[in-house]
Amino acid sequence: MVAALALSAQGWAQEPATKGPEQTTTADDGAFVFSESELDMSEESDVSQDVIQITSSTNMYASNISYTFSPMWFRFRGLDQRYSDTYMNGVLVNSAESGSFGFSPSLGGLNDAYNRSGDYSSPFETNTYGVSALGGSNNYNFRASNYARGNKITLSGTNRNYRARAIYSYGTGLNEKGWAFFGTVGYRWANEGYVEGTFYNSLSYFLSLQKVINDRHSLSLSTWGTPTERAQAGLSTDEAYWLANDYQYNPYWGYQDGKKRNSRIVQTFEPSALLTWDYQIKDNLKLTTTLYGKYGMDSRTRLQYNNSQNPKPDYWKSFPSYNYNVWGDTPATADEFAAWQESYDYWTASKANRQMQWDKFYYANQQMNAVQGDAAYYMLARHSNQLAFHLGSTLSWDIDRYSKFQAGIQLASNKGMHYQTLTDMLGAENLHNVNNYAIGTYAGSDSRVQYDLTNPNGNVGVGDRFGYDYNIIVQKATAWAQYTRDKGISHSFISAKIGGTQMWRDGKMQNGLFADNSLGKSGTARFLDGGFKMGTNLNLGKGHVIGMGVTYMTNAPHASAYGSSAFQCAEMNNNFIDGLKVEHMAGAELGYAVNLSWMRANLTGYFMHGTRLNEWQNYYYDDVNSFTYVSMTGAEKNYYGVELGVKFKVTSAFSIDLLGSMAEAKYMKNTDVSYLLSTQGTVTKETLYNKGMRENGTPLTVGSVALNYNVRGWWFTLKGNYYDRIYLSYAPSLRYESTLIRNGAVDNDGSFIVPEQAKGHGGFMLDGSIGHQFRIAHNPLSVNLMLTNILNNRKMVNRGWEQSRSNYTTDQSTGEKSSIRTYDFQKNPMKCYVQGFNFMLNLNYRF
Amino acid sequence: MRKPSYYLHLTSVIAAAMMTFAACMDGDWDTPDLSNPPYGNNAIVEDAGKQVTIEQLKQTYASVINASSMAQITDDLQLKATVIGNDIGGNIYKQICIQDATGAMIVGINATGLFPFLSVGQQILINLKDLYIGGYGQQPQLGDLYNGSIGRMSASKWEQHVKVLPTHDQSQIDTIDFYSVAQSDMNRYCGYLVCLKDVQIGDAGSKLAPEYTTGTTLTYNGSSNGYVHHTLGSESMNKLVLRTSTYADFASWEIPSTPVTIYGIATRYRDTWQILIRAEDDIKE
Repeated sequence: MVAALALSAQGWAQEPATKGPEQTTTADDGAFVFSESELDMSEESDVSQDVIQITSSTNMYASNISYTFSPMWFRFRGLDQRYSDTYMNGVLVNSAESGSFGFSPSLGGLNDAYNRSGDYSSPFETNTYGVSALGGSNNYNFRASNYARGNKITLSGTNRNYRARAIYSYGTGLNEKGWAFFGTVGYRWANEGYVEGTFYNSLSYFLSLQKVINDRHSLSLSTWGTPTERAQAGLSTDEAYWLANDYQYNPYWGYQDGKKRNSRIVQTFEPSALLTWDYQIKDNLKLTTTLYGKYGMDSRTRLQYNNSQNPKPDYWKSFPSYNYNVWGDTPATADEFAAWQESYDYWTASKANRQMQWDKFYYANQQMNAVQGDAAYYMLARHSNQLAFHLGSTLSWDIDRYSKFQAGIQLASNKGMHYQTLTDMLGAENLHNVNNYAIGTYAGSDSRVQYDLTNPNGNVGVGDRFGYDYNIIVQKATAWAQYTRDKGISHSFISAKIGGTQMWRDGKMQNGLFADNSLGKSGTARFLDGGFKMGTNLNLGKGHVIGMGVTYMTNAPHASAYGSSAFQCAEMNNNFIDGLKVEHMAGAELGYAVNLSWMRANLTGYFMHGTRLNEWQNYYYDDVNSFTYVSMTGAEKNYYGVELGVKFKVTSAFSIDLLGSMAEAKYMKNTDVSYLLSTQGTVTKETLYNKGMRENGTPLTVGSVALNYNVRGWWFTLKGNYYDRIYLSYAPSLRYESTLIRNGAVDNDGSFIVPEQAKGHGGFMLDGSIGHQFRIAHNPLSVNLMLTNILNNRKMVNRGWEQSRSNYTTDQSTGEKSSIRTYDFQKNPMKCYVQGFNFMLNLNYRF
Repeated sequence: MRKPSYYLHLTSVIAAAMMTFAACMDGDWDTPDLSNPPYGNNAIVEDAGKQVTIEQLKQTYASVINASSMAQITDDLQLKATVIGNDIGGNIYKQICIQDATGAMIVGINATGLFPFLSVGQQILINLKDLYIGGYGQQPQLGDLYNGSIGRMSASKWEQHVKVLPTHDQSQIDTIDFYSVAQSDMNRYCGYLVCLKDVQIGDAGSKLAPEYTTGTTLTYNGSSNGYVHHTLGSESMNKLVLRTSTYADFASWEIPSTPVTIYGIATRYRDTWQILIRAEDDIKE
């Protein structure tokens, strides 16, 4: 299978991108809460450098990209994670709610369980478990008999997100009575990780038992989980990094009683279980059936404030440039300069000044207690718990020497429980379940300001749910089939699938703004999706192969995913998005591979065209003075590019690897947008001028040269990587038709002048590694030292987003600009800089 | 070789042990010691010898206050007063209102979100030296120089000049009956927290300060600068108004057709009383 790129369906080296209130940046928490507070407070930045999955054994490019380019969060073909499918023992485990599989919360730290148990297939490669996804598919074999017999201890030291790691694994192999067991436990820890104010605390366990009953039947049971608690790092602007003199400045923490307290604590735990029945019906006929169940818990804390000034240390009004437009042409007046200097001096005088001021939050709450008022500051947690059951059953039939047939069904049922709790009152005595953002538009005594009309003005205590509470239920069923045939020099396949999805919301609070459609069940939305894929490889002989494939697929909308939602605003009401449709994706690929004694190479070109794409975000939109929930429907995108991977074997000890990709991933036409105002519950529809905007958070141009040398059991690698065309997430609100008109952004021909999308710096990074295998007591001890960013190039940006705020205020009665702000949001995008020099030392002993 | 179940058991025990070991790292955080409040300037030392009352200040600077002018306080003086109004409802903006046994005045501070740091009933000590005092429409005010008249001081200057005292007591605030006490003596009582009993607000049925009125001409009995004025009782608008910001949290509160009791800060603009309520519950229906 050659045209083929195999790649890891799951493990882009980092934690998956997630959904975040401001832009479709990266944040795994759903979206909610309103006001500029949220906008400013809510971006998540999961700077989690986690698992690296090495991939295909057949394709030079695919086998190296996820590891090589991981520091810059490279995504295969710029595709979102939900275009990759993850299977376990043949059952598809992508979340029915979000469409993607969360690798880290499920399998993080379980390296010995998932390493070498994957079966990857590229978008146009066949496999034995399903129709390969556009971003590739992977099937883990978690049967105990799959693991080697013996003990293994791994000890690691690093200066990345965690400092230390220990893993112990034991496998029995299959014994004479047909039993096999494999277990692994691991622990990853950092009192403080690479970024100041972060910690990491993660346990992982995996237990698997298998009984081969006879030649025909085998049962396998696995259960695992990785309870993890970690503190997050937040993105900020270049001005903040400059003032702090630190590219890793983290605004999320502050001192409390002299200790560093982080406001963003993530806790995840997904206890999961897998039960598999393998049934060899005949020699050439096999049925594999697997039931997967999990209860996933995910909570993310944040500091919230009530009706007062944003306490974020890097809030825009706290910057020196709030006092004087340093980007403008006008020299500062004496007063402006003095104010700038005062702010600069405050930022730079002490570290505590530019971090969160916990003492002030407690003091403020004490003041509020004295007047029987609600907490001014408090900690909340946003929860997303998922109860999921998936069943996959696959029949494999080897018809004859040349043809094979597979068919299967995949069923999934998911109940997503989304709610918010109060986690710490920071010394306050009162908090009521009232929507402060609607107060003003409505009087405090108006029922529309209530978050829950079934318990108006409810007192909220620690642990209580408030703000929102709803379930999303999604049920999916898919049937698929695939036929492969070898004839002459060709190997060809055709596969197809058809599926149905139904989903609904079940509200647990009666939101005052939507009294009639927030409590209880929504209507049920049903979607039919499916499509086909076909391809062929032609073996031209002497190691040369040409491969090609085409596909057309439709995908049901995701109920609630990163950057995509079927619901207008699940936190407030039962409404589905207006104009919600199944997405269409068409794709084609042409590849050439050569496999000679001195060289292996792959050259691939691909093209994909997506239509009727649904996207969803939420953010504060200045021009309407409201937090908004934003649905974008009917988006069109093209993804195309070329990929090259070459390995030259110069001598038996020395080889050179070349990798490169030039990709494009962009919107092809403007999109319909509608946004719901959190302050009054009304919806506005208009056009979003996003044509030409590009996929963000991944370099679209990458290149790498690696030198590999091994001698007498030592091996050395030196690798130079180049990254370019890194786009930041564009802010839709700057490109609404109404915004462009307000700004007079129209040229002489009457066309809109749409702001250019902000970019991050790319650049060059040098990595290296050195390894050796020793023997101790006749057992192998592997030592491996990996060095990343050896030249300590800290100026490279791997992701970020434009600020959606406006540089002016808007008169709400006329819609005209009413005043110009000194601070320039568009000159201050939020950026995440790469980690500087970092390393990982691994010791690995088998006995 | 031992049975696989042995290893299952063993690994489970290790996992359980590690689970216990891997306890929560973000532990319970205790309330920090707040005896030195993390707001204001704790270095200011209370000195009875330096203290003046609001009435004494008003007397000393009567001419600049009456002329709606300003002057810098050059003497080393201290003022001890209690917060009676702040921006909790979004109506009082970039100001706090203070009162002592002799009088009341306004402090202009160029900051929003002051209420969680200076709640009503909090006693404070202000180091007056270098601050400016003046009159805005003859309403006595502390602050800074702004275009030749009295304006707001920066938040950092304010924090240098204020000390939060241990006393916090709402009950010590004198609430003056407006009609029987305050109304007749504007010089004495301007800036006080007052109570107006059984008074009919004008324009019943309309909102207190209709949304989106900035920049437009309001028809609601006159307005200025994003504020809406309503009559109170039978008094003419050049004598007494209820003044409400369109940005106030209670701007959308609907004026009832029956009389209400109002608590609020009785500020003056020249010879007009302007009543500013602090929060929605300052109006008792």
